[in-house]
Amino acid sequence: MAKKRRTSRPQRALFSEGRQSVLVVLFVPSVERDGRTAINQNHWVDAALEMFGRVFGGATAYPRAKGIWRDDVRGGALVKDQPVVVHCYTTAVDVQDSRKLAELGNFCRMMGRKARQGEVGLIIGDEYFAVRDFAEE
Amino acid sequence: MTHLDMDKIAAALGAKRRGKVSATSGYFGAMQLLADVEARFRVPAGGGRPTDPRWTERRLVPLARRTLERLEAITAKVREHDGVNVEPMQLAALLLEKTTEQISEGEAEDLIRPRRRSSR
Repeated sequence: MAKKRRTSRPQRALFSEGRQSVLVVLFVPSVERDGRTAINQNHWVDAALEMFGRVFGGATAYPRAKGIWRDDVRGGALVKDQPVVVHCYTTAVDVQDSRKLAELGNFCRMMGRKARQGEVGLIIGDEYFAVRDFAEE
Repeated sequence: MTHLDMDKIAAALGAKRRGKVSATSGYFGAMQLLADVEARFRVPAGGGRPTDPRWTERRLVPLARRTLERLEAITAKVREHDGVNVEPMQLAALLLEKTTEQISEGEAEDLIRPRRRSSR
């Protein structure tokens, strides 16, 4: 039995960096809500990476993808864009921390407001969250 | 999966919950795979198949036929649809690397413990 206890310690150390098990995904758009006016996507990707780095410890921006979004407020107009998907692995504790969430929410509202979006989309864990009210808090 | 209080998260974010997603399969998962391959795979200096230069270790990994067939099916699909050549065992290495980075200590122990018991 004592032998078994000793062998469990190195395993704990091995996986000590593996606690970042909650995935947060942010979609950074390429166009404004009208679907035509380009936004400064690189600026928002860099800003998102900096925010995720500061608040949650790191993130990865993937190459541009192709996306589409139905704007129900504008009669179901389809907005086509090329979003950059930013992935951030964090912990269950950090992702439920009110101050960290407030920073993430502030970033989404700022991007939504300044880049004239209809919605800013986030995936946390296995759920999609939509930020549509971009008023400053 | 780790339990998260989604209502608390939504309230703190100032966001609305829009429903469950599957963030690790389907198109989304395939997109991640393509992005990984494009970002990391390089042709070795001496020529040959593109690979991740950091993959310097080689081990024999036993796996079930079903697993190999699944890896082959996914890589064939990616090759056909996106023109990206990734070998089944390169996909296995990518998946192993991702899982190792993401798995929590508790989840890893849960995987190991039952196997030890059943092997007795």
